[in-house]
Amino acid sequence: MAPSAPEATRSNPTHPLDKVMPLSAALAPLQSGMRLMLGEFVGAGEPVACVRWLLDSALDELTLIANTPGLRGGFLKALLFDSGQIREYIGTHVGTTEQSTAAYLENRVLVREFFPMGTWAEKVRAGAMGLGGILVPVGVGILDQPGLFPDLPTAKQTLDLNGQRYFVEPALTADVSIIKGWRADRLGNIEFRGTSTQNQRDIAMAGRYTVAEVNEIVEVGEIPPERVGCPGVFVNAVVQGVSLAEQHELYRQHWVKLGRLHAPTAAV
Amino acid sequence: MTSLKDRIARRCAQELHAGQVVNLGLGIPTLVANHLSPDAAVIFHSENGVFGFGPKPDYHHADSDFTNAGCEPITLPAGAALMDLATSLGAMRNGYIDVTILGALEVDATGNIANWATRRAGRWWPGIGGAMDLCYGTPTVIAALQHTDTHGRPKVRHRCTLPLTGAGCVKLIVTELAVFDVLPGGGLFLRDLQEGATLEQVRNSTEADFTVAETVLAGNTVAECV
Repeated sequence: MAPSAPEATRSNPTHPLDKVMPLSAALAPLQSGMRLMLGEFVGAGEPVACVRWLLDSALDELTLIANTPGLRGGFLKALLFDSGQIREYIGTHVGTTEQSTAAYLENRVLVREFFPMGTWAEKVRAGAMGLGGILVPVGVGILDQPGLFPDLPTAKQTLDLNGQRYFVEPALTADVSIIKGWRADRLGNIEFRGTSTQNQRDIAMAGRYTVAEVNEIVEVGEIPPERVGCPGVFVNAVVQGVSLAEQHELYRQHWVKLGRLHAPTAAV
Repeated sequence: MTSLKDRIARRCAQELHAGQVVNLGLGIPTLVANHLSPDAAVIFHSENGVFGFGPKPDYHHADSDFTNAGCEPITLPAGAALMDLATSLGAMRNGYIDVTILGALEVDATGNIANWATRRAGRWWPGIGGAMDLCYGTPTVIAALQHTDTHGRPKVRHRCTLPLTGAGCVKLIVTELAVFDVLPGGGLFLRDLQEGATLEQVRNSTEADFTVAETVLAGNTVAECV
Protein backbone atom coordinates (compact mmCIF):
# COMPACT_ATOMS: atom_id res chain seq x y z
CA MET A 1 0.00 0.00 0.00
CA ALA A 2 0.97 3.57 -0.44
CA PRO A 3 2.91 5.12 2.39
CA SER A 4 1.36 7.98 4.28
CA ALA A 5 3.22 11.27 4.46
CA PRO A 6 5.83 11.74 7.15
CA GLU A 7 4.33 13.75 9.98
CA ALA A 8 6.87 16.56 9.64
CA THR A 9 5.87 17.30 6.04
CA ARG A 10 2.25 17.90 6.85
CA SER A 11 1.35 21.52 6.51
CA ASN A 12 -1.63 21.19 8.79
CA PRO A 13 -0.85 18.56 11.40
CA THR A 14 -4.07 19.33 13.28
CA HIS A 15 -6.20 17.69 10.59
CA PRO A 16 -5.91 13.89 10.81
CA LEU A 17 -6.73 13.36 7.11
CA ASP A 18 -4.55 16.13 5.68
CA LYS A 19 -3.13 14.97 2.32
CA VAL A 20 -1.13 18.07 1.44
CA MET A 21 2.59 17.30 1.20
CA PRO A 22 5.76 18.37 -0.63
CA LEU A 23 6.38 17.01 -4.12
CA SER A 24 9.21 14.70 -3.11
CA ALA A 25 7.12 13.07 -0.38
CA ALA A 26 4.05 12.84 -2.58
CA LEU A 27 5.94 11.17 -5.42
CA ALA A 28 8.13 8.94 -3.22
CA PRO A 29 6.05 5.82 -4.06
CA LEU A 30 6.87 6.19 -7.77
CA GLN A 31 9.74 3.87 -8.65
CA SER A 32 11.61 3.09 -11.85
CA GLY A 33 9.86 0.48 -13.97
CA MET A 34 6.38 1.41 -12.74
CA ARG A 35 3.26 2.15 -14.75
CA LEU A 36 2.54 5.88 -14.52
CA MET A 37 -0.75 7.42 -15.68
CA LEU A 38 -0.92 11.16 -16.36
CA GLY A 39 -3.90 13.44 -16.93
CA GLU A 40 -3.76 15.74 -19.98
CA PHE A 41 -5.15 16.41 -23.48
CA VAL A 42 -2.53 17.41 -26.07
CA GLY A 43 -0.68 19.20 -23.30
CA ALA A 44 -3.70 20.90 -21.72
CA GLY A 45 -4.30 20.02 -18.09
CA GLU A 46 -0.77 18.80 -17.46
CA PRO A 47 0.55 18.67 -13.89
CA VAL A 48 3.34 21.19 -14.48
CA ALA A 49 5.25 20.88 -11.19
CA CYS A 50 5.09 17.07 -11.14
CA VAL A 51 6.33 16.82 -14.74
CA ARG A 52 9.24 19.15 -13.93
CA TRP A 53 10.01 17.02 -10.87
CA LEU A 54 9.92 13.84 -13.01
CA LEU A 55 12.30 15.39 -15.54
CA ASP A 56 14.73 16.20 -12.71
CA SER A 57 14.42 12.75 -11.17
CA ALA A 58 16.52 9.64 -11.86
CA LEU A 59 13.39 7.56 -12.51
CA ASP A 60 13.45 5.55 -15.72
CA GLU A 61 12.00 2.48 -17.44
CA LEU A 62 8.55 3.97 -16.88
CA THR A 63 5.46 2.90 -18.77
CA LEU A 64 3.63 6.13 -19.51
CA ILE A 65 -0.13 5.90 -19.93
CA ALA A 66 -1.47 9.20 -21.28
CA ASN A 67 -4.00 10.23 -23.92
CA THR A 68 -1.33 11.95 -26.05
CA PRO A 69 2.39 12.76 -25.69
CA GLY A 70 1.45 16.41 -25.22
CA LEU A 71 2.00 19.70 -26.98
CA ARG A 72 4.63 20.40 -29.63
CA GLY A 73 7.47 22.88 -29.22
CA GLY A 74 9.24 21.20 -26.28
CA PHE A 75 6.44 21.63 -23.78
CA LEU A 76 6.69 19.86 -20.40
CA LYS A 77 5.64 16.20 -20.66
CA ALA A 78 6.87 15.91 -24.25
CA LEU A 79 10.41 16.23 -22.88
CA LEU A 80 10.01 12.89 -21.07
CA PHE A 81 10.23 11.31 -24.54
CA ASP A 82 13.65 12.90 -24.96
CA SER A 83 15.02 12.18 -21.48
CA GLY A 84 15.13 8.40 -21.91
CA GLN A 85 12.88 7.83 -18.88
CA ILE A 86 10.02 6.18 -20.77
CA ARG A 87 10.27 2.55 -21.86
CA GLU A 88 6.73 2.15 -23.18
CA TYR A 89 3.89 4.51 -24.08
CA ILE A 90 0.21 3.56 -24.06
CA GLY A 91 -2.03 6.14 -25.73
CA THR A 92 -3.79 7.27 -28.88
CA HIS A 93 -1.09 9.10 -30.87
CA VAL A 94 2.65 9.76 -30.99
CA GLY A 95 2.65 12.62 -33.47
CA THR A 96 1.56 15.51 -31.29
CA THR A 97 5.14 16.31 -30.28
CA GLU A 98 8.49 16.26 -32.06
CA GLN A 99 10.07 14.39 -29.14
CA SER A 100 7.57 11.53 -29.15
CA THR A 101 7.74 11.18 -32.94
CA ALA A 102 11.52 10.89 -32.81
CA ALA A 103 11.51 8.48 -29.87
CA TYR A 104 8.97 6.25 -31.64
CA LEU A 105 10.60 6.28 -35.07
CA GLU A 106 14.06 5.73 -33.57
CA ASN A 107 12.76 2.80 -31.52
CA ARG A 108 13.61 4.44 -28.19
CA VAL A 109 10.04 4.08 -26.87
CA LEU A 110 7.90 0.98 -27.35
CA VAL A 111 4.38 1.59 -28.67
CA ARG A 112 2.63 -1.75 -29.18
CA GLU A 113 -0.53 -0.27 -30.71
CA PHE A 114 -2.53 2.94 -31.03
CA PHE A 115 -6.01 3.12 -29.54
CA PRO A 116 -8.90 5.21 -30.79
CA MET A 117 -9.32 7.91 -28.15
CA GLY A 118 -12.74 6.69 -27.06
CA THR A 119 -11.33 3.19 -26.62
CA TRP A 120 -8.39 4.49 -24.60
CA ALA A 121 -10.70 6.59 -22.40
CA GLU A 122 -13.00 3.64 -21.74
CA LYS A 123 -10.05 1.33 -20.96
CA VAL A 124 -8.97 3.84 -18.33
CA ARG A 125 -12.53 4.13 -17.07
CA ALA A 126 -12.78 0.36 -16.81
CA GLY A 127 -9.62 0.41 -14.72
CA ALA A 128 -11.15 3.18 -12.61
CA MET A 129 -14.42 1.38 -12.05
CA GLY A 130 -13.08 -2.06 -11.21
CA LEU A 131 -14.04 -3.70 -14.50
CA GLY A 132 -11.94 -6.30 -16.28
CA GLY A 133 -12.38 -4.66 -19.66
CA ILE A 134 -14.85 -3.39 -22.23
CA LEU A 135 -16.37 -4.32 -25.59
CA VAL A 136 -15.63 -1.74 -28.31
CA PRO A 137 -17.00 -1.79 -31.86
CA VAL A 138 -14.74 1.00 -33.14
CA GLY A 139 -11.96 -0.16 -35.47
CA VAL A 140 -13.12 -3.77 -35.89
CA GLY A 141 -11.99 -4.96 -39.32
CA ILE A 142 -9.38 -2.18 -39.40
CA LEU A 143 -7.14 -2.36 -36.33
CA ASP A 144 -7.08 -6.18 -36.41
CA GLN A 145 -5.59 -6.33 -39.90
CA PRO A 146 -2.53 -8.61 -39.90
CA GLY A 147 0.78 -6.78 -39.66
CA LEU A 148 -0.65 -3.44 -38.58
CA PHE A 149 0.80 -3.66 -35.06
CA PRO A 150 3.70 -6.17 -35.24
CA ASP A 151 4.74 -5.54 -31.61
CA LEU A 152 1.47 -6.93 -30.24
CA PRO A 153 2.24 -10.24 -28.52
CA THR A 154 -1.13 -11.72 -29.55
CA ALA A 155 -3.83 -10.83 -32.05
CA LYS A 156 -6.53 -8.45 -30.84
CA GLN A 157 -9.34 -10.47 -29.27
CA THR A 158 -12.88 -10.09 -30.64
CA LEU A 159 -16.27 -11.20 -29.37
CA ASP A 160 -19.61 -11.44 -31.19
CA LEU A 161 -22.62 -10.23 -29.24
CA ASN A 162 -26.14 -9.52 -30.51
CA GLY A 163 -24.99 -9.69 -34.10
CA GLN A 164 -22.12 -7.25 -33.76
CA ARG A 165 -18.39 -7.86 -33.44
CA TYR A 166 -16.43 -6.08 -30.73
CA PHE A 167 -12.86 -5.84 -29.58
CA VAL A 168 -12.34 -7.18 -26.08
CA GLU A 169 -10.24 -4.42 -24.54
CA PRO A 170 -8.67 -5.03 -21.12
CA ALA A 171 -8.82 -2.30 -18.48
CA LEU A 172 -5.87 0.05 -18.00
CA THR A 173 -4.56 0.62 -14.50
CA ALA A 174 -1.42 2.21 -13.08
CA ASP A 175 0.88 1.92 -10.09
CA VAL A 176 0.84 5.69 -9.75
CA SER A 177 -1.50 8.26 -11.28
CA ILE A 178 -0.89 12.00 -11.39
CA ILE A 179 -3.82 14.31 -12.08
CA LYS A 180 -4.12 18.07 -12.39
CA GLY A 181 -6.95 20.06 -10.83
CA TRP A 182 -7.66 23.70 -10.15
CA ARG A 183 -8.28 23.65 -6.38
CA ALA A 184 -7.96 21.04 -3.70
CA ASP A 185 -8.94 21.05 -0.08
CA ARG A 186 -6.79 19.33 2.51
CA LEU A 187 -8.86 16.14 2.26
CA GLY A 188 -7.91 15.87 -1.42
CA ASN A 189 -11.28 16.87 -2.85
CA ILE A 190 -10.50 18.31 -6.28
CA GLU A 191 -12.31 20.98 -8.31
CA PHE A 192 -11.58 21.23 -12.04
CA ARG A 193 -11.81 24.20 -14.42
CA GLY A 194 -13.15 24.33 -17.96
CA THR A 195 -12.03 21.74 -20.48
CA SER A 196 -9.25 20.54 -18.17
CA THR A 197 -11.75 18.22 -16.48
CA GLN A 198 -10.88 15.67 -19.19
CA ASN A 199 -10.76 12.19 -17.63
CA GLN A 200 -8.68 13.28 -14.65
CA ARG A 201 -11.07 11.68 -12.17
CA ASP A 202 -10.97 8.34 -14.02
CA ILE A 203 -7.18 8.50 -14.02
CA ALA A 204 -7.20 9.18 -10.26
CA MET A 205 -9.36 6.11 -9.68
CA ALA A 206 -7.33 3.89 -12.05
CA GLY A 207 -4.14 4.46 -10.09
CA ARG A 208 -3.26 2.35 -7.07
CA TYR A 209 -1.71 5.52 -5.62
CA THR A 210 -2.73 8.98 -6.84
CA VAL A 211 -1.16 12.42 -6.59
CA ALA A 212 -3.24 15.50 -7.40
CA GLU A 213 -1.44 18.70 -8.37
CA VAL A 214 -3.48 21.88 -8.09
CA ASN A 215 -3.12 25.62 -8.58
CA GLU A 216 -4.56 26.40 -5.19
CA ILE A 217 -5.03 24.61 -1.87
CA VAL A 218 -8.01 25.73 0.19
CA GLU A 219 -9.49 24.85 3.55
CA VAL A 220 -12.00 22.04 3.92
CA GLY A 221 -15.47 23.34 3.12
CA GLU A 222 -14.41 25.96 0.58
CA ILE A 223 -15.19 23.67 -2.36
CA PRO A 224 -18.94 23.04 -2.34
CA PRO A 225 -19.64 19.28 -2.38
CA GLU A 226 -21.41 19.46 -5.75
CA ARG A 227 -18.33 21.16 -7.27
CA VAL A 228 -16.00 18.33 -6.24
CA GLY A 229 -14.97 16.75 -9.55
CA CYS A 230 -12.78 14.11 -7.93
CA PRO A 231 -13.56 13.09 -4.35
CA GLY A 232 -10.59 13.04 -1.99
CA VAL A 233 -11.19 9.34 -1.36
CA PHE A 234 -9.53 8.73 -4.75
CA VAL A 235 -6.52 10.93 -3.94
CA ASN A 236 -3.55 9.97 -1.74
CA ALA A 237 -1.53 13.16 -1.91
CA VAL A 238 -2.11 16.81 -2.81
CA VAL A 239 0.75 18.97 -4.05
CA GLN A 240 0.91 22.68 -4.71
CA GLY A 241 1.58 23.39 -8.37
CA VAL A 242 2.05 26.69 -10.15
CA SER A 243 -0.61 29.33 -9.54
CA LEU A 244 -3.42 29.75 -12.05
CA ALA A 245 -1.92 33.06 -13.18
CA GLU A 246 1.48 31.41 -13.74
CA GLN A 247 -0.19 28.54 -15.60
CA HIS A 248 -2.04 30.97 -17.90
CA GLU A 249 1.22 32.79 -18.63
CA LEU A 250 3.08 29.53 -19.33
CA TYR A 251 0.49 28.43 -21.91
CA ARG A 252 0.01 31.90 -23.41
CA GLN A 253 3.73 32.28 -24.03
CA HIS A 254 3.93 28.82 -25.55
CA TRP A 255 0.91 29.53 -27.77
CA VAL A 256 2.62 32.70 -28.98
CA LYS A 257 5.77 30.68 -29.67
CA LEU A 258 3.69 28.23 -31.75
CA GLY A 259 1.88 31.04 -33.58
CA ARG A 260 -1.47 30.06 -32.07
CA LEU A 261 -1.90 33.33 -30.23
CA HIS A 262 -0.83 36.88 -31.02
CA ALA A 263 1.55 38.43 -28.51
CA PRO A 264 0.06 41.41 -26.68
CA THR A 265 0.85 44.59 -28.59
CA ALA A 266 2.51 46.15 -25.54
CA ALA A 267 5.12 43.37 -25.54
CA VAL A 268 5.94 43.59 -29.25
CA MET B 1 -6.34 35.43 -53.42
CA THR B 2 -8.05 32.48 -51.81
CA SER B 3 -5.71 29.63 -51.00
CA LEU B 4 -6.56 26.10 -52.08
CA LYS B 5 -7.22 25.16 -48.49
CA ASP B 6 -9.55 28.10 -47.97
CA ARG B 7 -11.41 27.23 -51.15
CA ILE B 8 -12.00 23.74 -49.78
CA ALA B 9 -13.01 25.08 -46.37
CA ARG B 10 -15.41 27.63 -47.87
CA ARG B 11 -17.18 24.93 -49.89
CA CYS B 12 -17.42 22.67 -46.82
CA ALA B 13 -19.03 25.52 -44.87
CA GLN B 14 -21.91 25.53 -47.37
CA GLU B 15 -22.77 22.00 -46.26
CA LEU B 16 -23.41 23.02 -42.62
CA HIS B 17 -26.83 24.02 -41.33
CA ALA B 18 -28.27 25.70 -38.24
CA GLY B 19 -28.67 23.43 -35.24
CA GLN B 20 -26.22 20.81 -36.40
CA VAL B 21 -23.58 19.52 -33.99
CA VAL B 22 -20.31 19.66 -35.89
CA ASN B 23 -16.80 18.41 -35.16
CA LEU B 24 -13.98 19.90 -37.23
CA GLY B 25 -10.78 17.89 -37.54
CA LEU B 26 -7.30 19.40 -37.60
CA GLY B 27 -5.91 21.06 -40.73
CA ILE B 28 -8.22 22.23 -43.49
CA PRO B 29 -11.40 21.45 -41.51
CA THR B 30 -10.41 23.93 -38.78
CA LEU B 31 -10.58 26.68 -41.42
CA VAL B 32 -14.27 25.95 -42.07
CA ALA B 33 -15.30 28.01 -39.03
CA ASN B 34 -13.80 31.11 -40.71
CA HIS B 35 -16.30 30.76 -43.56
CA LEU B 36 -19.46 30.59 -41.46
CA SER B 37 -21.50 33.66 -40.63
CA PRO B 38 -21.72 34.52 -36.92
CA ASP B 39 -25.43 33.63 -36.94
CA ALA B 40 -24.87 30.21 -38.54
CA ALA B 41 -26.07 28.62 -35.27
CA VAL B 42 -23.87 25.58 -35.70
CA ILE B 43 -22.88 23.88 -32.43
CA PHE B 44 -19.18 23.07 -32.54
CA HIS B 45 -18.00 20.03 -30.61
CA SER B 46 -14.43 19.45 -29.48
CA GLU B 47 -13.45 15.96 -28.36
CA ASN B 48 -11.71 17.10 -25.21
CA GLY B 49 -15.19 17.79 -23.84
CA VAL B 50 -17.15 20.83 -25.04
CA PHE B 51 -20.26 21.62 -27.07
CA GLY B 52 -20.76 25.14 -28.39
CA PHE B 53 -17.29 26.63 -28.06
CA GLY B 54 -16.52 30.04 -29.53
CA PRO B 55 -13.69 31.81 -31.34
CA LYS B 56 -10.10 32.20 -30.23
CA PRO B 57 -9.64 34.90 -27.56
CA ASP B 58 -6.93 37.55 -27.51
CA TYR B 59 -3.78 37.10 -25.42
CA HIS B 60 -5.12 38.52 -22.18
CA HIS B 61 -8.33 36.50 -22.35
CA ALA B 62 -6.64 33.22 -23.32
CA ASP B 63 -7.42 30.80 -20.48
CA SER B 64 -5.20 27.73 -20.18
CA ASP B 65 -8.20 25.69 -19.01
CA PHE B 66 -10.37 26.62 -22.02
CA THR B 67 -8.85 24.77 -24.98
CA ASN B 68 -9.86 22.78 -28.04
CA ALA B 69 -8.72 19.33 -29.19
CA GLY B 70 -5.50 20.80 -30.58
CA CYS B 71 -4.72 22.62 -27.31
CA GLU B 72 -5.51 26.01 -28.75
CA PRO B 73 -7.28 28.63 -26.66
CA ILE B 74 -11.05 28.90 -27.17
CA THR B 75 -13.89 30.83 -25.58
CA LEU B 76 -17.00 29.41 -23.98
CA PRO B 77 -19.88 31.71 -24.94
CA ALA B 78 -23.39 31.51 -23.49
CA GLY B 79 -24.91 28.14 -24.26
CA ALA B 80 -21.66 26.20 -24.21
CA ALA B 81 -21.60 22.95 -22.25
CA LEU B 82 -18.68 20.98 -20.83
CA MET B 83 -18.35 17.26 -20.27
CA ASP B 84 -15.69 14.79 -19.26
CA LEU B 85 -13.59 12.94 -21.86
CA ALA B 86 -15.39 9.59 -21.75
CA THR B 87 -18.73 11.35 -22.26
CA SER B 88 -17.37 13.38 -25.15
CA LEU B 89 -15.97 10.32 -26.93
CA GLY B 90 -19.15 8.41 -26.11
CA ALA B 91 -21.15 11.16 -27.82
CA MET B 92 -18.96 10.68 -30.90
CA ARG B 93 -19.32 6.90 -30.95
CA ASN B 94 -23.03 6.95 -30.28
CA GLY B 95 -24.19 9.35 -33.01
CA TYR B 96 -24.63 12.62 -31.10
CA ILE B 97 -22.39 14.49 -33.53
CA ASP B 98 -24.30 15.25 -36.76
CA VAL B 99 -21.45 16.19 -39.08
CA THR B 100 -17.70 15.80 -38.96
CA ILE B 101 -15.29 17.31 -41.47
CA LEU B 102 -11.98 15.45 -41.56
CA GLY B 103 -8.75 15.88 -43.43
CA ALA B 104 -7.63 12.81 -45.36
CA LEU B 105 -4.57 11.18 -46.86
CA GLU B 106 -6.80 9.05 -49.09
CA VAL B 107 -10.49 8.53 -49.71
CA ASP B 108 -12.07 6.03 -52.04
CA ALA B 109 -15.13 5.19 -54.11
CA THR B 110 -16.64 3.06 -51.34
CA GLY B 111 -16.53 5.85 -48.77
CA ASN B 112 -13.42 4.62 -47.00
CA ILE B 113 -11.13 7.23 -45.47
CA ALA B 114 -7.50 6.92 -44.39
CA ASN B 115 -6.05 9.73 -42.32
CA TRP B 116 -4.18 8.38 -39.30
CA ALA B 117 -1.14 6.56 -40.60
CA THR B 118 1.67 6.86 -43.08
CA ARG B 119 4.70 4.59 -43.30
CA ARG B 120 7.76 6.06 -41.61
CA ALA B 121 10.95 4.19 -40.71
CA GLY B 122 9.13 0.91 -41.18
CA ARG B 123 6.23 1.70 -38.86
CA TRP B 124 2.85 3.36 -38.93
CA TRP B 125 2.85 6.94 -37.72
CA PRO B 126 1.47 9.21 -36.13
CA GLY B 127 -1.66 7.72 -34.48
CA ILE B 128 -5.40 7.74 -34.26
CA GLY B 129 -6.63 10.31 -31.74
CA GLY B 130 -10.39 10.83 -32.00
CA ALA B 131 -10.78 10.41 -35.77
CA MET B 132 -11.78 6.74 -35.71
CA ASP B 133 -14.52 7.34 -33.13
CA LEU B 134 -15.87 10.17 -35.31
CA CYS B 135 -15.88 8.01 -38.43
CA TYR B 136 -17.60 5.18 -36.59
CA GLY B 137 -20.45 7.16 -35.08
CA THR B 138 -21.10 10.30 -37.13
CA PRO B 139 -23.92 10.09 -39.70
CA THR B 140 -22.35 12.63 -42.07
CA VAL B 141 -18.59 12.38 -42.58
CA ILE B 142 -17.18 14.96 -44.99
CA ALA B 143 -13.63 14.44 -46.25
CA ALA B 144 -11.87 17.75 -46.94
CA LEU B 145 -8.60 17.28 -48.81
CA GLN B 146 -6.44 18.49 -51.64
CA HIS B 147 -7.11 16.56 -54.81
CA THR B 148 -3.54 15.27 -55.18
CA ASP B 149 -0.63 14.77 -52.80
CA THR B 150 2.64 16.69 -52.84
CA HIS B 151 3.94 14.33 -55.56
CA GLY B 152 0.86 14.97 -57.71
CA ARG B 153 -0.63 11.53 -57.06
CA PRO B 154 -4.42 11.22 -56.80
CA LYS B 155 -5.84 11.07 -53.28
CA VAL B 156 -9.35 10.14 -54.44
CA ARG B 157 -8.63 6.47 -55.02
CA HIS B 158 -10.40 3.44 -56.36
CA ARG B 159 -9.49 1.76 -53.04
CA CYS B 160 -7.51 3.23 -50.14
CA THR B 161 -4.04 1.73 -49.75
CA LEU B 162 -3.25 3.10 -46.26
CA PRO B 163 -4.74 1.81 -42.98
CA LEU B 164 -8.31 3.04 -42.74
CA THR B 165 -9.76 5.44 -40.23
CA GLY B 166 -13.33 4.56 -41.21
CA ALA B 167 -14.90 2.08 -43.59
CA GLY B 168 -17.72 3.16 -45.89
CA CYS B 169 -18.44 6.23 -43.77
CA VAL B 170 -17.66 9.19 -46.06
CA LYS B 171 -20.74 10.84 -47.57
CA LEU B 172 -19.11 13.81 -49.27
CA ILE B 173 -15.64 14.56 -50.64
CA VAL B 174 -14.60 18.19 -51.05
CA THR B 175 -11.36 19.13 -52.82
CA GLU B 176 -10.11 22.34 -54.41
CA LEU B 177 -11.39 21.00 -57.74
CA ALA B 178 -14.51 19.04 -57.05
CA VAL B 179 -17.36 17.99 -54.80
CA PHE B 180 -18.23 14.27 -54.92
CA ASP B 181 -21.14 12.50 -53.29
CA VAL B 182 -20.35 8.95 -52.21
CA LEU B 183 -23.43 7.04 -53.38
CA PRO B 184 -25.15 4.55 -51.09
CA GLY B 185 -23.64 1.19 -51.97
CA GLY B 186 -20.51 2.82 -53.39
CA GLY B 187 -19.52 4.89 -56.38
CA LEU B 188 -18.71 8.57 -56.73
CA PHE B 189 -20.97 11.23 -58.20
CA LEU B 190 -19.36 14.51 -59.28
CA ARG B 191 -21.97 16.89 -57.94
CA ASP B 192 -20.07 20.10 -58.46
CA LEU B 193 -16.91 21.63 -59.84
CA GLN B 194 -15.14 24.22 -57.76
CA GLU B 195 -14.84 27.67 -59.28
CA GLY B 196 -12.25 27.65 -62.07
CA ALA B 197 -11.93 23.86 -62.21
CA THR B 198 -12.69 21.86 -65.35
CA LEU B 199 -14.10 18.38 -65.76
CA GLU B 200 -10.98 17.35 -67.63
CA GLN B 201 -8.81 18.49 -64.73
CA VAL B 202 -10.86 16.37 -62.35
CA ARG B 203 -10.75 13.35 -64.65
CA ASN B 204 -6.96 13.64 -64.98
CA SER B 205 -6.30 13.85 -61.25
CA THR B 206 -8.82 11.33 -59.90
CA GLU B 207 -8.05 7.61 -59.75
CA ALA B 208 -11.60 6.53 -58.86
CA ASP B 209 -14.31 6.29 -61.50
CA PHE B 210 -17.21 8.70 -61.10
CA THR B 211 -20.45 9.71 -62.72
CA VAL B 212 -21.07 13.35 -63.52
CA ALA B 213 -24.04 15.55 -62.64
CA GLU B 214 -26.04 17.03 -65.52
CA THR B 215 -25.37 20.50 -64.14
CA VAL B 216 -21.62 19.88 -64.33
CA LEU B 217 -21.88 18.61 -67.91
CA ALA B 218 -23.92 21.69 -68.74
CA GLY B 219 -21.17 23.84 -67.24
CA ASN B 220 -23.45 25.98 -65.11
CA THR B 221 -22.09 25.25 -61.66
CA VAL B 222 -20.46 28.58 -60.94
CA ALA B 223 -23.53 30.10 -59.29
CA GLU B 224 -23.47 27.42 -56.59
CA CYS B 225 -19.85 28.14 -55.71
CA VAL B 226 -20.21 31.82 -54.85
